[in-house]
Amino acid sequence: MSSHETLAHAAPLRAAGPARAAARLLASETALTFRRPRHLALLAVLAVVPVLIGVAVRIASTDGDAGPIIARVAGNGLVLAFTSLSAMLPLILPLAVSVVAGDAVAGEASQGTLRYLLTAPAGRGRLLALKYANVLVFCLAACALVVVSALVAGLALFPTGPVTLLSGTTVPFAEGLLRVGLAVLYAAAGMAALGALALMFSTLTENPIGAIAASVVLVVVSQVLAVFPQLSALRPFLLTSWWSAFDGVLRAPMDTGRMGTGLLVFAGYAAVSGAFAWARFTSRDVTS
Amino acid sequence: MRSGTRAVRWGVPVAAVAVVAGVVAAGPVIAAVQGEPSLPRRTAAELLADAAEKWQSGRLPQMSGTIVETASLGLPALPAAGGATSPLGLLSGSHQAKVWYGGPDRLRLMVPDEMNESDLVVNGDQVWWWDSAANTATRVKGAPDGAGRPDAVPYAKTVTPAQAAEEALRAAGTDTEIAISEDATVAGRAAYQVVLTPKEAGSLVKEVRLAIDGETLVPLRVQLYAKGTAEPAFEVGFDSVTFTPPAAENFAFTPPPGAKVEETTAPSIARGPHGKDGKDGMDGVDGHDGAAPRVVGDGWDRVVVVSLPKGFEGDLAGAADRAKGARDGDGVASLANGMVKVATPVSGEWGSGRLIRTKLVTALLTDDGRMFAGAVTPEVLYAAAAAK
Repeated sequence: MSSHETLAHAAPLRAAGPARAAARLLASETALTFRRPRHLALLAVLAVVPVLIGVAVRIASTDGDAGPIIARVAGNGLVLAFTSLSAMLPLILPLAVSVVAGDAVAGEASQGTLRYLLTAPAGRGRLLALKYANVLVFCLAACALVVVSALVAGLALFPTGPVTLLSGTTVPFAEGLLRVGLAVLYAAAGMAALGALALMFSTLTENPIGAIAASVVLVVVSQVLAVFPQLSALRPFLLTSWWSAFDGVLRAPMDTGRMGTGLLVFAGYAAVSGAFAWARFTSRDVTS
Repeated sequence: MRSGTRAVRWGVPVAAVAVVAGVVAAGPVIAAVQGEPSLPRRTAAELLADAAEKWQSGRLPQMSGTIVETASLGLPALPAAGGATSPLGLLSGSHQAKVWYGGPDRLRLMVPDEMNESDLVVNGDQVWWWDSAANTATRVKGAPDGAGRPDAVPYAKTVTPAQAAEEALRAAGTDTEIAISEDATVAGRAAYQVVLTPKEAGSLVKEVRLAIDGETLVPLRVQLYAKGTAEPAFEVGFDSVTFTPPAAENFAFTPPPGAKVEETTAPSIARGPHGKDGKDGMDGVDGHDGAAPRVVGDGWDRVVVVSLPKGFEGDLAGAADRAKGARDGDGVASLANGMVKVATPVSGEWGSGRLIRTKLVTALLTDDGRMFAGAVTPEVLYAAAAAK
């Protein structure tokens, strides 16, 4: 289970243009990622949880006096997409992204395939970029999968129609779908920042479990820190504080200010972790 | 790999950290480099007169912006103090709201919360309070004296800087020293700073700093400093502000389909503490409405008096249950319950009770079920308790 065979084809492909070659490499790397049983199991969990939430809401909404949140979801299937994203962004999605990104380099090292990869004339920087591009694809796919699964479940279980935003304004269903799309992009950007961190951990160790655990622990610790009112000054600097800002798409007017700041924070985390990962990966001695 | 290139490689992440730190620190650094803005000199009297004329004539420019409210009153952790939108929730921590102001009768105040939102929308004689968490739209019927005016609603009263500034100036009678301090930058705009210093010894307030926009004379920030502290105990001000007419959609509110629609009259808490004197507030208090607050004293030594729900002192949990339903009653009861746990017992000629002191606010809970609170020393509260 490695990608050294794909890189072996790299040399002839480069003649066809670096962009196309990179796209081919990424495609085969992505195919490997999405074929791994472990990753497939993760994706299955991501797809099932929104359905479970939908079924639970459906059962709860048949009781006469259901809460307002349940009523909101039960009133419109589209809302299930936002509810699922909100429920899964704190832990389940970060866990999936950590597994894939934390394994990216350390996994190859632990299996002894990293040194074969590095014999290909692609360069370590380029290899790292390829690994990160693969993580980006996975982040987007994971967030999109959650939302698509929620939409399918939502449309099957609940009525549809104009969507009521958090501000009490009602928008047409099509605009609601557009807002779901924006929420997916924002959530994927947040996951991509975590992916960069996990990739950095992955270059620091030869043990993929270590990198995955470090990334998950960081997510949990950040969220615990954010709970204490005494540490509220820390909150704007924590990556996890900005994930939930995707709810800005549900306001009228859209809260672009907060989401913009969130994207800047994501970019900052990604840039710093990416730079550390690059420095470490290009200067370390690969022995396995 | 040679150690030289290795060092260069590690320079890249160090540079990345430096760039990110630079971006984070850019705001304060730029402000420090620019120094204090300098506006044309005005005396305090001129400035306040111009500003007051502007506010009273209702010619405040249309604007929208983000307001940040920060309170560090040194209160004990409030049990069940409610979420971001609860009045008691505003007493601790930092809160953000967005405001759109389109004229004296057009206002929208939005308090965002995670996957939730509360909105106050004032449009002409229509006042709506929307709470997305409860999926409830409440139509607020104004008080008879000011149907539907924004200040008939409790939240608007204390939250926008304009209203807080007006409130502070009203409180400032002859017992206040008013001076102009160095100009400040608030929300990126040059602003005059007016410093109000209480002369009364009984007040715990060191000074109130008002930042007034140099161009439009709109109050941009109010800071309250307690005696003996360097950081403001309470601060409400614009984080960002633009003086352009807000979009009309902001003031159009129709309850969404499926929402619970309720009607209410503006709660008496909106009128009580802001009366010209304490007496009109006192008239509203009767035996049944246990939580209605009133104000005694004047100037900086004003004290809010709340009669707690009956039976409170004997049966705390029962009182909290009874007070439920009425939003304000609930808050007062939970605040009182929290106080009981941390308060020190005190007694005097006025009776006996429990006292809680913070940097800015002192509160006294008497054993006969009254609560006195104010930005004053305990002696002022004892005097108020003795006066009945």
